[in-house]
Parts: sequence; C-alpha cells; structure tokens
Amino acid sequence: MKLFDCPVIGRRPISEFDYFGEVRRPPVQADGSVAPDVWSDFVFNRAGAPGVLREWWYHRPTGRWYVMERDTLKDEVLRFIDIQEVRYELPA
Amino acid sequence: MSCRLDPQPLEWINRSETLNFQFEGRAVQGFAGDCITSALLASGQTLLGRSFKYHRPRSVLSLANHDVNALFESAEATNIRGDVVPLQAGMNLRACHANGSLEQDKDAWLGAFSRFLPVGFYYKTFHKPKKFFPFWEKIIRQKAGLGRISTAWSVERQAKQYAFCDLLVIGAGASGLQAALTAAEAGADVVLADENPHLGGSLDYQYAQDAQAASLRDQLKQQVYQHPRIRVFSEHMVCGWYTDHYLPLVGPQGITKLRAQGVIFATGVMEQPAVFRNNDLPGVMLASAAQRLITRYAIKPGKKAVILAGNAEAYSAALDLLRAGVEIAAIVDLASSQTRGEVAEDLRHRGVKILDHSAVYEACGKKSLQAVVVAPFDGRNCDSGLTQTLDCDLLLTSVGWAPTAQLLYQAKAQLAYDTTLEQLLPVSLPSGIQVCGRVNGAFTLAQRLADAKRAAQAAVAELRGERLETDALATYRDSQAHSHPWPIVAHPKGKNFVDFDEDLQLKDLYNAAKEGFDNIELIKRFSTNGMGPSQGKHANMNGIRILAQIRGQSIDATGSTTARPMFHPVPISALAGRRFRPERCTAMHAWHLEHQAKMMEAGVWLRPEYYARPGLSREEAIFQEVEAVRKQLGLIDVSTLGKIEVLGPDAARLLDLVYTMKMSTLKIGMTRYALMVDQSGVIVDDGIVGRLAEDQFYVTATTSHADATFKTLSRLLVELGLEVRLVNRTGSLAAMNLAGRAARQLLSGITDIDLSEAAFPYLGIREGQLLGHPVRLIRVGFVGELGYEIHLSAQAALEVWNALMQAGAPAGIRPFGVEAQRVLRLEKGHIIVGQDTDGLTHPYEANMAWAVPLKSKAWFTGKASLARLQGLCQRQLIGFCLPPHYQGPIPKECHLLIEQGEIIGRITSIAPSPALGRVIGLAMVDLPWANSSKFLQVRVDGGALVEIEVCSLPFYDAEGLRQTADLTEVV
Amino acid sequence: MPWRLLKYGLQSGHHEPRFFPESKPLKSHYDVVIIGGGGHGMACAYYLAKEHGITNVAVLEQGYIGGGNTGRNTTIVRSNYLTPEGVKFYDASVKLFEDLADDFDLNIFYSTRGHFTLAHTDSALRTMRWRAEVNKHYGIDSEVVDRQIIAQEVPYMDLDCAGHSPVMGALYHAPGAVARHDAVAWGYARGAYQRGVEIHQKTRVTAIRTQGGRVVGVDTDRGPIQCQKVISMVAGSTPRITEMLGLRTPIEIFPLQACVSEPVKPFMDTIVVSGSLHVYVSQSSRGELVMGASVDPSVLHSTRSSFDFVEGLADKMLDLFPFMSRMKVMRQWAGMSDITPDFAPIMGKTPVEGFYLDAGWGTWGFKATPISGKTMAWTVANDQMHELIQPFRYSRFADFDLVGEKGAASVGH
Repeated sequence: MKLFDCPVIGRRPISEFDYFGEVRRPPVQADGSVAPDVWSDFVFNRAGAPGVLREWWYHRPTGRWYVMERDTLKDEVLRFIDIQEVRYELPA
Repeated sequence: MSCRLDPQPLEWINRSETLNFQFEGRAVQGFAGDCITSALLASGQTLLGRSFKYHRPRSVLSLANHDVNALFESAEATNIRGDVVPLQAGMNLRACHANGSLEQDKDAWLGAFSRFLPVGFYYKTFHKPKKFFPFWEKIIRQKAGLGRISTAWSVERQAKQYAFCDLLVIGAGASGLQAALTAAEAGADVVLADENPHLGGSLDYQYAQDAQAASLRDQLKQQVYQHPRIRVFSEHMVCGWYTDHYLPLVGPQGITKLRAQGVIFATGVMEQPAVFRNNDLPGVMLASAAQRLITRYAIKPGKKAVILAGNAEAYSAALDLLRAGVEIAAIVDLASSQTRGEVAEDLRHRGVKILDHSAVYEACGKKSLQAVVVAPFDGRNCDSGLTQTLDCDLLLTSVGWAPTAQLLYQAKAQLAYDTTLEQLLPVSLPSGIQVCGRVNGAFTLAQRLADAKRAAQAAVAELRGERLETDALATYRDSQAHSHPWPIVAHPKGKNFVDFDEDLQLKDLYNAAKEGFDNIELIKRFSTNGMGPSQGKHANMNGIRILAQIRGQSIDATGSTTARPMFHPVPISALAGRRFRPERCTAMHAWHLEHQAKMMEAGVWLRPEYYARPGLSREEAIFQEVEAVRKQLGLIDVSTLGKIEVLGPDAARLLDLVYTMKMSTLKIGMTRYALMVDQSGVIVDDGIVGRLAEDQFYVTATTSHADATFKTLSRLLVELGLEVRLVNRTGSLAAMNLAGRAARQLLSGITDIDLSEAAFPYLGIREGQLLGHPVRLIRVGFVGELGYEIHLSAQAALEVWNALMQAGAPAGIRPFGVEAQRVLRLEKGHIIVGQDTDGLTHPYEANMAWAVPLKSKAWFTGKASLARLQGLCQRQLIGFCLPPHYQGPIPKECHLLIEQGEIIGRITSIAPSPALGRVIGLAMVDLPWANSSKFLQVRVDGGALVEIEVCSLPFYDAEGLRQTADLTEVV
Repeated sequence: MPWRLLKYGLQSGHHEPRFFPESKPLKSHYDVVIIGGGGHGMACAYYLAKEHGITNVAVLEQGYIGGGNTGRNTTIVRSNYLTPEGVKFYDASVKLFEDLADDFDLNIFYSTRGHFTLAHTDSALRTMRWRAEVNKHYGIDSEVVDRQIIAQEVPYMDLDCAGHSPVMGALYHAPGAVARHDAVAWGYARGAYQRGVEIHQKTRVTAIRTQGGRVVGVDTDRGPIQCQKVISMVAGSTPRITEMLGLRTPIEIFPLQACVSEPVKPFMDTIVVSGSLHVYVSQSSRGELVMGASVDPSVLHSTRSSFDFVEGLADKMLDLFPFMSRMKVMRQWAGMSDITPDFAPIMGKTPVEGFYLDAGWGTWGFKATPISGKTMAWTVANDQMHELIQPFRYSRFADFDLVGEKGAASVGH
C-alpha cells in the first residue's frame, strides 16, 4: 500500500486519504463571467494523461487537506505543495 | 515401493508420535512432522493424484509446494497440497479430481484420447450448431475444476497482525540466514521469513551430509535465533510485493502485514523439470524432491534410480541416493560428466554407470516408473535410433533452476538471461531491494555467504541513505552453469509435458506458435501454459526456452509473462480477516429498539423506519404515524443529519459560494433552505443554514451527504484562504423534530426560549435552555406542521426525548420514523435528494428556479452551469395523484410514464396520503408532457397502464399556514 | 463427438492456419489506422473489412493482441442498463455476441448464465426497478426478484449477509453471460486478417500528424504511416493518444482490479453482483471463481495490484458466501479503466477531422466489444455518426447533454 510522507502528520498509508483529483480553479472573470466553452472544459475535461499532477487529498483522521505533486505513472509523490500556492479568488 | 529410512540427522518427523488417518477409505499411519505426501509415500502409496486434463497418474514432483497433481480433499477442505500440508491425526482424505477412485479413475481414458484434443481444441469445436453449446458446456464444466467444495462449510476468518521492520529477508537458506545476521549486526531491525517450518533451506536437503555445511548451519541458525534484532517468521509465505515494501506474510494463524524499509530477496531457485515422454510418471521427480524426501521425512524414494543430469547438483543427489541405499542404474548426463567436478569423479570410481551426452528419451510404466529409454543427445535432439532401456523405479531429473523471482518482478526488478549460468539473473533493482544467493547466481556456499553479506551491507547502507562502493550485483556469481539451456526432448508420441498443472505437451506449444500465438503472452493464453494453480513455477522457464527456440530468438528477446500475486494461493479466510462493519447509532437507539422500532440502514447510520405496533401491518403503522403528526403530535429522531458550525468573519462568504442561495443576507436568528449543486449544476445536497450571529452559522446536511458537505466546505475555505473555522458536530449533537399542533405548548413549559410567533417565527433559530440543557431550536417545515427541530448534545438527548414523550402523552404524541416522514414531506411536495433527483437532476428540473439567484449573486459553485441549463431543461418534476377511492394496481416508485409507446418519465415518490385520502406522488417527466398534460399514464407491474392526474404542488396546506402557527391560531 | 475433434485425431501433424499474420514491415500508407489491438480495435477492423469492404487497414498494437483490458476484464456480458440509449446499445451488443461463435467459426464460450444484481437497501431496490422497467420496455429480459427467488436460484448465498445489510431483492437479467475474452479478440483478429487487414503487434504510435485540423498520418516506433483516418481504441491509454492531438477529454484513468480463486469443481452457474458490497463473482469454465470490485479510488496509470483490494474483496465476499473462506485466491491483476463523468463511453467523430475516438469504457468495455466495432466501422466508413452512438458523442459535454447512466453503474459489471 502506498505511503505518503506528510509534512504535518508523518508517514501515513493512502487508505487514510480521500482522493479529490487534480487541483483546478474555476476560469471565471472578476465580474463573474465565463465563456461557455471555457466553462464546460473546466467542468468536465481533465488532464488525463500520465504525468505529474497536483492533486487534492483529504486526510480523514485529521480532517486536513493536502496538495501533492504526484507522478501518476510511477505513483510517486514528488512534493507537498503549500496550500498558499494553489489559492485563488472568486467573484464576490 | 518406498519405505522409511533409518533416522536422518535433520529429519522433520517425530517417530515417537504416530498419526492415524484415512486415505481413499484405507487406514494409513504417518508420523508427526510428516506432510500428507510423505506419510502416503511411507505407507507405500506412490500414486497420489490424477492430472487435470487427461487424468494421468501422478505423484511427487517437487515436494516444494508445486505439486498440484497431488491434491487432496476432506470433508472440511479441498485442494489440499499434500507436499506441504502437515499431516494431522484423524484426517480423512481422498484425491481431488479423480473420477471415481484414485486407482480406477473413470476419466483415465481421456489420455488415450489426447490426440483428438490438440491445443486450444475447445476454441474450434462445440459451437456449431449454437443450440448444442449449452449441452457441451455442461460436460466441459463437469470435467473442469479440481477439488469439490461444500457450500455448507461455515465461515472462517483469521485475524490479521501488523508488523514493521527495517529489512525483510525472504528465504532462510544459507544466503537468507547470513543476510539477516549481517544486517542485524549492522544495527538493522530484521524480519526473516521462510515458508518452511524449519530454517535452513537447501542447507538441510542438499548439504545434509556435508560436514562443513553442518557446522555452518548450526552456527547460522543459532546466531539468528539468538539475535535480538531478528524476528523469525518460519512457516510464513510472502504472498506478494506491494507498493512501498508492503509484504503480507501468510502463516498458519493468519496474515501478518509487514511494512519494511527494504527487502533482501534470498528466495533461491526453483528446480525445473526436464521435458521428455512420460516425464510425469510416478517415480519421476526432481532431484531436490528426492533430497527433501530423504532428509526431511527419511523416505527412500525408490530402489533403483536413473539420474538425468544437467548440472553438478545431479551428482550430489546421486551420492545422497547411494547413502540412502538406493541403487543407481545410471547417471545420464545431457552434456559431459567431465565438467561436473569431484563428485562425478567420485561416483565414477565407485562404479556408477555414467552416460555422457545422453538424455532420457522416454519413461516407461503404467501407473509407476518401470524403466527409462535413454538415447544419445546432441544438446538439442535425441538420436532415437540408438536407444537403450534401463530398468528403474526412480528417475531423478536435475537439469536446472529458475530464479524464484516472482516477488522481484512485482517489485519492478529487471532480470536478464545470463548465458554463463543459463539462468535469468537480476540486472537492475529498484530502491530498497537487494538480492543474494542462488536467485542472484551465487551457487557455492562460499559465494552465497559472501553475496549475502554484500547484499546485507548494501541494504543497511541504503537505509542510512548511503551507497556502498562494492554494490555490484555480479560480484559473487558462479562461473559455471547450473542449468541446461535445452532440457527438452521431442518424441513423436508426445506426452512430454511442459506444464503438469494443465497437461500441456511439447507439441501443444509448437502448435500454438504455429497458429500465430507466437509471443510469450499469447502462447500462455492460448495454450494455458503456466495458468494452473502452480502459476508456472515449473512450466514458465521451459515455456520461454521453447518459444525462444521456435522463434530463433534469445531468451531476453522472448521475454517472460508477468508474475502477479499470490506467490502461492492464499486462503480467503486469511485475506478476509476479522469482520468489521461500523454502524452508527443515535443517542436514542436503545429507546427505539425498546419501542419496537424497525431499524433501517441510512449510510452507516441506523434509523427507525417505523415503530411496529401489535396488530398493525407495516403500512398501517406508518399511516398512523403520519396521522399522529397531522392531527396530534409526533417526534422523530433526526440526529443523523449532518450538523456543521461555520464560524468566523468569512463564514457568510463561504456559504454564499457553496450554496445556491444567498446566505450573507440572512438575518441573525433566521434560517434558509440550502441547496447545493456541483460544478455541473447537479443537485447534490440540501439542508438549512441558520445564522446565530454575524459570524456564526449552523448548517445541516442530509444524512448520506454529511461528510461530503463538510469536505466541500472545508476544501473551499482552504482554496480561498478564508477566515472560517468549521466544526463537524454530526456525531456530538443529537437532533429531534417535534411536529404537530401541540408542539409549542409542549415546549413552552420546559424551555426558557420565548416561543411566541412574534418572538420566534417560522424559519427562526434560537439558542437557550431546555430542561436545563443548552439547545438550539429551529422552526422547520419539512413535514408541514408547526415544528421545532431540537439540536442538543448527544448526552442530553435521551433525557429530553423521554421528557417530551412523557409530557406529550396527553396530546397523543407518537414517535415516527423515516417512512412516515417521507409521506409527510411528500404531501408538502418537498424532494428527497437522491430519490426524487438522479445523477443529472438540476434545480430547474426539480422546480427550484426560485433557489437559483443567477442575477443577484456574482458567483457560487455551479452557477455558470445553471446559467446554461436554465435554457436546456428537458424534464420536470411534477406532482400527481390517483383518483379518490382508486381500487386498481398502485404504481411503484420507478414505474415508467408512457406516452405513445415511448418512455416519458418515471415516478420518483409515491404513497397513500392520509391527509388527502388519495395516492399521491412525484414524477420526473419529459417536456413538453410535464407542463402540458393533465393526465398521464404509468405502466405498472404486469404491464397495465394506470392513469394519473397531474396536480399542483404542494398537495397539502399550500399556504403553509399549519407550519406558521398551531391549529387554534389558524382556526 | 464433434466431427472436428475426429479430424484432429485422425490427421497427422497440426494443420491449422495462423490466426494472426507474421510480423512484417509497415506499409507507407493505409486508408485507416486503428490504434489498439484489443477487442474493440479488432472488431472495428473486422467490420470495416467485412461490412464496408475497407481492407487497407492497419491495426497497431503496442503490446500483443488482447493484452490490455480485453484480457484483464471479468468477461461479463449484459444489457440491463438504465438509460434507453445504453439499453439499445448493449442489447445490440448482446445479440452480436450470441452469434459471434458462428460468425467466427470459433468457440468464444459464450455462456448465458443469468445475472443477479443484489439490492441491500431500498434505494438500491428502487434503482433496480427503474432498470427493470426500462429494460422491459425495450424487450430485454430483466426483472426485480425477491429474496425467495434469489434463494431458489442461488441457494448457497447468505441473504442475511451475516446480519449486516441483508439482501432485499435483486435485479435478475436472464441473458447475462460470460465469454472467453481472449477468444473474442482472437476471433475478430483472425477474421480481419483473413480479409486483408494488417495487424502489427509491438508497434507503438508516437505521434499523430495533422495538417489544417485534419489527420494526415501517424508516427510509430517502426516508422511513419500516411493515412487520413485514425481510430483510437485504446481504453486505458486514451489520454496518451488524445494528448498527442491536444484534444481535451473528461477521461481519467483508474485501476480496476480482479482476482481468481484456485479452480474447484463448478458449483456456481449464475453471475452475482452486489453494488452495496462492491463485489461480483462468477465461476469460469476452468472452475476458477472470477471476482472483482469497483475501481481504485485514485488516478493511476499502472496495472499494479494492491493488497487492500484483495483483502476488501475477500471480506465482503464472505458475507454472501461464507463457505468460500476455505477457498484460496490464486492470482490477482489489474487493468486501467478510462472513466467518464457520466459513466458512458465517448464514441465517434471528434473536432479533429479524420480522428475517431472509441473510449471512456470504464468498467464495461468488454460487453460492448462487438457493437463498438460495428458502429465505429460504420461511422468511419460513412464519416457520419451511427445512430446508436449518437448519444455518446464527444461534444455532449460541451453541450451539457450527458448520459444518465451513473445511477446503475456503482459496480458496473
């Protein structure tokens, strides 16, 4: 079973985590507008090819979110990302 | 007939303990420490089983857990491998797969029929005409499989253990023992695992008589057992290598799941059979099998032996036979005895007949070996014109080895064929993996010990993040071959088996290749070579050699099939482990049970479906519960709702983004319906949001979506960096809904909260005390009556529940369950997410345009999708009812609406409504029918069409008067 | 005894023709290149040649014939889907399957067993009824059955599930079948080869060349090929191919694992699936129990096995079949499932002219093999979407017009 070397909680098995897929941000303008094709691409399409993906993982026992860079071909975590790096803003 | 030898120095049997057992209806005796096979051999039973396809007589092949033709069954178990399963007193065994008796197998004629059954024959027959295939299939299925199971067997589950170590050493032969010791001495915490009950590996059966090996063996074993940093797992098979060095050890008591930092594979080699006609006759066995029989079980494997030699080990085995009192008819060497070292010389001096450049062309005998036909061999073919026949009852084959590399392959090690050793050897290893010993080509004891030390030092260095200078895999490999590159002899009459599990003959592989199945994977799949229970342990290497020869390719270019777990088959009882099914119960669970609640599962929670009453059917009980809420007072346990505190300056902002409706405009002390859609606009959850202070909200979610809603909230706040704190109080808080005209009156005496309509209006939320406990009261309308949801600590909940039941008794209070609540909300036209919606339902389809403020909110999850979907609505949820006093068949949920023979929708909810006196329901109906028809048709069980009348929603109390005041105020 | 066995016995030597061609050099031009030599690719090649007379076709397979998900699935064939579009499509597939052995003159061991999908909750039972009603509407034999009938048909199953989540009923689908998966691919391959199609194993596509938005050729590790039509039929490798064209899709790859027990004498004739327990099982003609579960929870482009899979499966299986605790798991393996958000495939034309997609097969690709091949061949031959695959078009996501199959597919076998 895969192990993750978490920066906060140490080495934990993948079975303690829920997977939430690639890190993405809604492609919305500050005024709340978004082109239809841009939007449907965001909603449905994914970076499906093997490679390095930034992904969301939720650690159930501690209720904490992590972002990892993982090679989805080799199943290797390259690094943990500071959440600050994936922050974004939404229209208010 | 074999017999027991005088005591052997390392024998596993305990001669003072006799075990009685039954075999094929006959009383047999063995010793404690015997395996089933050895006890049977000792009793003179050489025929042990029947082969899979042709039901040919079979006996010992390896005695190393590859003997899948010597399978037994009892009343309690089947496919018992006699070569490794310990004998137990009282066993009552018979051979698996024999049709009738083992001696008189009724299917033995199939062997003679084999020319009619060429490789893959079943792909080319039985299918024409089509209607006859089921007939043939029935016959084929009768012949399939090995042992019989009993479906009456009770369940067995073995608890699992966990273990951790720095280094796991797999295999406790000379190399493994030394590697474990060296690593432990260097400070590593070591686990040493071996599938055999005794440590020692080949030291014990190949070197049993070797004085030098004896002292080494004693010393290694003693040191290993005494070392404080070595834990020994004998009788534990490592069934697979899994990601990040996760290796389950399967033992007699169950599985220990081991997490190692690194692994040293000292897994050794598996002896490979020679391929010649009748190489499967009882009496033909691997040399190492005979050595195991002699040293472990003190069994004389035969009286007069021929040894087929492809390596020096053959000559050592011959010596062992002589010591055991077996006469040697001849040693037949595939090459030259000159290259086999001193032992060969020794044997020649003793007068043992040695035939160089010869091979066994054929073994002869009916149910056991009687003679072998030997012929000159040029390394590829026999000269069948120059045969000679040698009488014997034992033929040992010692022609080569295949690395026990299954786990190594799983760990992504790469192996390549070494033409010096004529063996596949590791060429590159992934991190954390080391190999040593014969699997790495180190064959002499000195090489093995040196290689083991090297591997252990390298492994320990890697643990420390260092890398050793001398970390070259090939340092201690032998310089001469221990395997013959072509131990294979063709014969016009065949029966030269490559795979004993599957009864595959040499020609089968040739013919498969001829038909185009000429790469290693296709030939396996077409011929089934290596697909039987031994998973190719004795068939794959020869299979590769044969295909390489056919294609004129190297072994490396030919490749090998993928080795997958399990190394040996693993009992499902061990894999399953103990049974663990978490269930969540609310604080009132025991009360519900005491009051005859019929519980149902709601996710992991248990909830009362309804409360059974003597003399009432389920439907009548539910009906009464509904009526009680409408006419008197009801109480339902809603503790399973998701309950989340949302606190902080950005709390309103977060909720605005997560829910469709605006929550930032919510007044303190009020709640609002909360609808959640995903980014594609599909409804995923609903609940309420209540505002307790400017920066404090209380959110509920549906039972099944509570965790997901919490995660949605928590991730978005992380993504946006909002100043919000979430507390998931689903488990710590209980909740109950008191609904009915007398609700306010009942509560007013026991709470300090002002319940008057003016002070606490519909949809209000208040905090205060109830019976001395801090509570939140929420004016809810889900069931359509004056109602208060009471949220309070789970510890206080039962007391409050009891008090309400007691105080409500005069008003006719009744507990109600999920089913009654479904009817009550249906009367109000409220949807249940997941029942009235499906995986694509968006708010416009569910008549919830009012909950989608596209204009007034700049953004929320799914908004841009809903903006698209608004104009794409293809179906709509409608209310419908059946006529009053309807007597016909009642439609069910998911019955279809039909218009002109086409499906136009389905019923999502339906129930008889006490309030309306008619059957009412919701249906998702395609446009335009949903908004243009007054009457629609539903197809019920049996195919009849039932007319339904479209109704406006809600069915009951459209003005909502009943939930804003108690009955007296309304009237 | 079938006459053909007599023939084998009485002739000397083995005179069977090759199923597949010997390896030979690639031509410089083909009319159609099919990427992927699994069941779908071979079926498409077969129908292109047989029904449309298009034979200048190359099937390029990076590994060996049927070595991907064709050889890794658990061989279940059924048509009891939830949506009308799904039901029509898979029903056509089942009908083709039923005649495939005749069509090929090859026994694919198509064995109609009956298929139970167990419901352990009332909501599951509702979905079963929905599926049954839709199925029956299209003439498919599909019925919600109660515990009593299940107990009659599968008497050795513990309907009480050892006291947790008891079985409440089931969807019974009499035509549910299993087939020898390899033979399906081999039969199509042989038929295509006999009609002139070239099959190139160990040939990897490295790029797809386009000019002005249309396909002009492919590059392979054995050299370039000119062609105007390329069909990608590579299941778990789909994102690698679409990435070559910069074509975005919703497909994500999740491993799907399975295992088999040691062979025992056949006792189980039906196929049993439990959505709530996430397990399914049937017994093969070799006597092995073929068992599987739902896809792994995270994206991974690998066919590695995991121990948690086989542990979880064993645990759940014993709730239904306590006696299986004394059987043994012999081998486990994995395939790579190409999953779409609406659990329906993506088929047909794409925004790149000349590039056709047959993907998004998730956990149900095997059962679609014949009909996918047939409809894709038709679509390519006519450069027009076959009506059966219209609902599965690539553009449905951009149009927010998804297929509603999700409700039926929690364990979609």
